[in-house]
Amino acid sequence: MDGEPGGDKGSTSDVPESPEKELPPPNFLEIEPIYEALGHPRRRYLCYTLLKDTEWSLNDLATKIVAWETDVPEHAVTEDQREEVYISLYHAHIPKLVAEGVVTFDEGTERVTAAEHADQVLTALEGMGGSLDAAQETHARSEMDERED
Amino acid sequence: MNEKTNGGTMPDDSTTGANTKWSQVAQHHYEPDGRGELTTAIVYAIAEAEGVSPSEVKSPPLYDTVDVPAIENAFFGPTVVGESRQSVGSVEFQYTEYLVKVRSDGWVQVYEPTETVLS
Repeated sequence: MDGEPGGDKGSTSDVPESPEKELPPPNFLEIEPIYEALGHPRRRYLCYTLLKDTEWSLNDLATKIVAWETDVPEHAVTEDQREEVYISLYHAHIPKLVAEGVVTFDEGTERVTAAEHADQVLTALEGMGGSLDAAQETHARSEMDERED
Repeated sequence: MNEKTNGGTMPDDSTTGANTKWSQVAQHHYEPDGRGELTTAIVYAIAEAEGVSPSEVKSPPLYDTVDVPAIENAFFGPTVVGESRQSVGSVEFQYTEYLVKVRSDGWVQVYEPTETVLS
């Protein structure tokens, strides 16, 4: 991709030019992690949850996700439901988000923390969340066990 | 990825490599239309094979071993409007000492080696 207007200047890729224009930093244009991160509703929900708090235990995340998916309060989540989502987070979604640099995961404490690409993803989510996933976002931001329905 | 495919052998042939015999020790049925995920069904089957609770299956994460979403898409994935998936067969991979087979009919089967060593 050549961002220069009037692209006949033969943009030589070897020249170490770093035009200080109002281009966003290259990092910000790297949108692959955003698509990858947002490609599954559980990961979207997890990212919404990170909007509220930047560190979560995997257990609490699993509980919150069951509550959201089944529309019950957190205290009504059964152990079997929580375990199933916990496993899907542990074996699939968290490693995926770790690989995309969206979260870090401490295997010892099983805590999930926002990582370097979290801002991009959260920005994208906030941009689209209002119209598409408002209920999901609202729920993700709600306190544990404090849903008023 | 260190998933182990089975070359050109038949899907129903429960062997990988000439020197290992496998016997099935657990199975779990994955319901594509249910709420559970294929990853979870696989972990349940492995847990049954190991005789532990599913949440004790920890290392390595399945993500590090095999591309589960690829299998999910190949056999059970969303389809183009008006089309239905007709992929038939199975995918095998190794998870720790086990051989795991995911079949297009939704059965996840776990085998353990019964003789000789894994290469």
